Amino acid sequence: MSTLTTISLKGKDSSGRLASRILEERIQEAVRSGAEKIKIEAFGQHGLGGRIFLTDSRQVKIEITGSPGQRVGAMGSPGTSIEVCGPASDDIGWLNAGAEIVVHGYATNGVCNAMAQGRVFIGGNIGSRGMTMTKHNPRFSSPELWVLGSAGDYFAEFMAGGVAVICGFEPQDPDNVLGYRPCVGMVGGRIFFRGPVREYSQADARLVPLNDEDWQWLSENLTLFLSRINKDHLLEKLLVRQEWQCLTARTPMEKIGGKTRSMTEFRTQVWDKELGRGGLIGDLTDLDRSSIPLITTADLRRYVPVWEHRKYTAPCQASCPTGIPVQERWRLIREGKVDEAVDSALAFTPFPASICGYLCPNLCMQGCTKTLGNLKPVDITILGKQGAGSKEPDLPPLSGKKVAVIGGGPAGISAAWQLRLAGHESVVYDLEKVLGGKMSTAIPEQRIPASVLDLELERVRRVIPHVHMGQKLSGKEFEQLKNDYDYVVLAAGAQKPRTIPVPGSERIIPALTFLKQSRQGKQDVGRRVVIIGAGNVGCDVATEAHRLGAEQITLIDIQEPASFGKERQEAERIGASFKYPCFTREVTDEGVVLTTGELIPADTVVISIGDAPELDFLPESLVIDRGFVQVNEINQTSDPKVFAIGDIVRPGLLTDAIGAGRKAALAIDGLIRGKIPDRQTSWLKKYDMEYSETSERIDYSRMTLEYYDPRATDYNDLGGCASQCSSCGVCMDCGICDVICPTGAIERKDLKSGKLERTANPEKCIGCGFCGKCCPCGIWDLVENQPLE
Amino acid sequence: MPSNAAVTPSTLSRLDLPWQINWDIHTCTLCGRCTAVCPVNAIELGVFRKRNMTTPFFAEKTRPRSDFSIYYGIRQRTDPGYACVGCSMCNLVCPNNSIEARRSDTFDMLRFHRDRAGQPRTRGGRRNSPDSVLDQIKFIRISMLTDPALDAGRHEFEMRTLIGRILSPAKAINARREKGWIPPVREVYPLLIGGMSFGALSPNMWEGLQMGVAYLNEELNMPVRMCTGEGGCPPRLLRSRFLKYVILQIASGYFGWDEIIHAIPEMKEDPCAVEIKYGQGAKPGDGGLLQWHKVNRLIAAIRGVPPGVSLPSPPTHQTKYSIEEAVAKMIQSMSMAWGFRVPVYPKISASSTSLSVLNNLTRNPYASGLAIDGEDGGTGAAYNVSMNHMGHPVASNIRDCYLNLVKLGMQNELPLIAGGGTGKNGNLAANAAALIMLGASAVQIGKYIMQASAGCLGTEGDRCNICNIGRCPKGITSQDPRLYRRLDPEKVAERVVDVYVAFDTELKKIVAPLGRSTSLPIGMSDALGIAHKSAAERLHIKYVV
Repeated sequence: MSTLTTISLKGKDSSGRLASRILEERIQEAVRSGAEKIKIEAFGQHGLGGRIFLTDSRQVKIEITGSPGQRVGAMGSPGTSIEVCGPASDDIGWLNAGAEIVVHGYATNGVCNAMAQGRVFIGGNIGSRGMTMTKHNPRFSSPELWVLGSAGDYFAEFMAGGVAVICGFEPQDPDNVLGYRPCVGMVGGRIFFRGPVREYSQADARLVPLNDEDWQWLSENLTLFLSRINKDHLLEKLLVRQEWQCLTARTPMEKIGGKTRSMTEFRTQVWDKELGRGGLIGDLTDLDRSSIPLITTADLRRYVPVWEHRKYTAPCQASCPTGIPVQERWRLIREGKVDEAVDSALAFTPFPASICGYLCPNLCMQGCTKTLGNLKPVDITILGKQGAGSKEPDLPPLSGKKVAVIGGGPAGISAAWQLRLAGHESVVYDLEKVLGGKMSTAIPEQRIPASVLDLELERVRRVIPHVHMGQKLSGKEFEQLKNDYDYVVLAAGAQKPRTIPVPGSERIIPALTFLKQSRQGKQDVGRRVVIIGAGNVGCDVATEAHRLGAEQITLIDIQEPASFGKERQEAERIGASFKYPCFTREVTDEGVVLTTGELIPADTVVISIGDAPELDFLPESLVIDRGFVQVNEINQTSDPKVFAIGDIVRPGLLTDAIGAGRKAALAIDGLIRGKIPDRQTSWLKKYDMEYSETSERIDYSRMTLEYYDPRATDYNDLGGCASQCSSCGVCMDCGICDVICPTGAIERKDLKSGKLERTANPEKCIGCGFCGKCCPCGIWDLVENQPLE
Repeated sequence: MPSNAAVTPSTLSRLDLPWQINWDIHTCTLCGRCTAVCPVNAIELGVFRKRNMTTPFFAEKTRPRSDFSIYYGIRQRTDPGYACVGCSMCNLVCPNNSIEARRSDTFDMLRFHRDRAGQPRTRGGRRNSPDSVLDQIKFIRISMLTDPALDAGRHEFEMRTLIGRILSPAKAINARREKGWIPPVREVYPLLIGGMSFGALSPNMWEGLQMGVAYLNEELNMPVRMCTGEGGCPPRLLRSRFLKYVILQIASGYFGWDEIIHAIPEMKEDPCAVEIKYGQGAKPGDGGLLQWHKVNRLIAAIRGVPPGVSLPSPPTHQTKYSIEEAVAKMIQSMSMAWGFRVPVYPKISASSTSLSVLNNLTRNPYASGLAIDGEDGGTGAAYNVSMNHMGHPVASNIRDCYLNLVKLGMQNELPLIAGGGTGKNGNLAANAAALIMLGASAVQIGKYIMQASAGCLGTEGDRCNICNIGRCPKGITSQDPRLYRRLDPEKVAERVVDVYVAFDTELKKIVAPLGRSTSLPIGMSDALGIAHKSAAERLHIKYVV
């Protein structure tokens, strides 16, 4: 062994302890001067032996005696070997970049912190946080830490490379050679250790078996380590392969994957096992709770379309006081059954032409769904007018029951007509000489051609042969009728004009009188006519007055006139003027004097503020309410054998009177037969028509009107009308729903006798509701599915 | 509405609604999915009539003409009863991204018409306000050199808190020496799932939450606890070992408690704790209300009532006539039920009266803590006015209570549990940490876990919020199998686990720089700062700008 160039340095001289800076300068000076061995008697100086950067191939040995300070060998360089002859303070080998460091005793905390190269041999135990943050740079060999004893707490925290060997010889804690919580945050490197460990970070490190290569490396290097710390004699004791274990860092993939159980496994192996089959509530319900998609079919649909064909009444029919199924008649026309469409009206009214075609304000058209879309309602008058020529229906044989009908106006005729159609004999009594009531006697001929009314009255007479005209009844006679007939229907109308108690009221002509006389050609009007009461009857008076030659016609009212429709239009057309509010003070031979003092000159003054029924002939026992006969919902009076209809019950339209007649007849028929007759199986079935008067009116919002041309303002023929009817509530088989259905779920089925049915196939239908929203007829409804539980 | 229909005071246009459906005619395939999925029937097929004008150049001979054509599309309904709620399920199911709900940027008029038949608006969700004091709190103490700063990513932490009455050292020593009663204390994870009843939540949601909690406990060693809410507890859970992860709630309606009583002799484990609900942050002064249509056979069985009846809970517990009696009597009874082995604590809505309750509890040796639910808390059903305008912010309430405990020297003895809007803007860990540093020992969440684990669509911007009508489009708050089967309990459980594991990392990121790894920084308010002077003064934290 050659003699090395040796320089000795002391950490303390006569002036006292040298500052770490001074000693460092002296060490660097010694190195520059060519020293191969530097002996340092340390006195707590910092960082001894580090940073010896050699430019030649020389090796420098540092031998430290005394008390070294912290960070011996910090930033140590290759070629430097440091030997600490006693114990070492903190952070020995800190950021070591290649030095070999031997400690012949214990080392305190932070051994090899952030070491990247070099080897550190400790001949005892180490303190906490040893081998932390160590690295392995692939350009250099791996750093190594050898510890004869045990490691302190937090060993190998954040260790990222290198090898640590903990021999576990005479450890500080015989039960745990790696201290408290080692390997936290370890991402690289390996730890060979001998002896028991209590714990290590399972998340970061794992135990691996030593393979032969590891063992060979460990054996060889253990020999070197023991020789460095002068403990060769321990080799045999330490070199027992089965006593050694190895911890290695988990790879990032191992950390992410983990070894955790999947939730599915947890559910079957833990959750359901503890709770029982079906989990949390498996004992309470056997409902399937498995996953379903957002869009579902069949039972899992939230909504289900329902084809509600003929479930509801069309608005036209519902608006018609007579109850004529208008939409059915248009359907017949669409199907080419024009005669049936025209004739079937007789099942509901004896006057399809006179009333529907001429005199009715056509409530069906006012109620028509199409008005909601600013569209022109289908024109029923075209169809109505054709009814003048309809032949009377075939009459059933007589039942033997008889009904007296008092009053031959529209109400009475309607009741008698319906009773006869139902098989009961009815006999009509009337004051007037002509049948038809106000239709024949009071309504101006401009509004209804006499030929049409005559045709229809002729037809009526053929159906009701027993008509007694010019009969004024006394109370006694009424009682007699009650005895002679099974039922009596009161349809005597309102004949008693209302008037106003003003001076000169005797000069006023009641409207009804005026109209009757004018029709008979007996009325003289003069040039100027004032009509008190500007309702529809007042308008009729105005029209008639004009026909009779009046030039200046004034209608006055106490409020905005209530007249409307054809009557009003006609009155305006002939140039009548409307004036309101006007309150009459008196009527003089000059005219009408208003409360304002104004005089409206008149040759004739007519009053048309309504008429009241004549009730003198009725027994006192019959309940009268404010001048009208009181009836229940089937038009029955307080006497169960007596029914009352028309203006004797309450003032109304002709169609109200016709409807009341029908209703009363229907009720009487039901009472006679002891049940409500099924209209479908009776005489109505001769028409291809389905009819219900009990179903609810369809909601207007269900129909879709965008399919109609908003520019269509005139209807010229029946076909044109029928094509513009929205067929509310009755499927017209347009096929739009079949096509719009996104899943092709709608199935059309032909039933016998030309009927059809549509259903939504539950296996395909997703409950989107498209079918309902596209439907012009409002057939499809979307309802919530049955609750599942 | 039809163009010629009469306008009523509540006739609204599409623009008067808070949410508008935008529909693209060019890409829509009319597949019907959007209308099939819409929870409130706000959209429907529309049939449209389009007029096309053809006008030739004047030099040409032909006449101008117009033609109509029909097209189909998706129409938004404007009836206030069918107003779009913005859930955007339509967009979710649309194959072509042709439809979406957009929040109007104009002031909606619908708000003035949500009182049909004199019935004020009710809804689910939270206070419709994104404001949050908690969000403004910053963690300003980063102890780089002054304390051993820890690495949240790599250090090991034990994030645990204590629920139960913790005796002072002197009393504890005394109790041990004299073999006296030592109150039960549970070491649990500081983020609790707050009380949401079986009934308010769907069976799949509830099971998913419980399963996730069990997984966290048994697979990941996170002692997370979940409160049942007031709706009883499924019999199987009561008799399973998972009961130890459950905080049983008793509220003024006492629903399901007879079933719990029947189960006591058969319990394998004690429940974690019993929460006595006196109030709820979302609707202070109002009791729960489960509408009859949500009370199906299953819910009825668990609650111990006949099906198909509405289940209102009174605003307060009956038969209690003073705060002393109310609190003492209930805590005694509930403690006694499990032989004084189970912590029992009251839950109240944050209020200016919270301190009175707290002071009362400090004198009650059986009181195990106090849960305070702030105004931002959520609920399945409440009056809009209660939700939006009633209640007290949780931050100052918790702070006052904590400082009061400090004054009494009892801050380590009576844990405070804070809740109500924690994470309302997504900042769960930050909000929770702020509450802890203001003085809470634990934090309860409800809405957040619905949003994060089940995809709840409700927001503070009044999106969806229809929990109360049983039509939850995600199946979270519905009892209709057609809806709740959209939710897979296993997937919910997986999300619960994700939420907790991620929360745990975030919480560590906040507490690690404080040098805390084994104890929560409860009341460590020197770590908090806020750029709002009066808030800083009110909360006794630092004003930082």
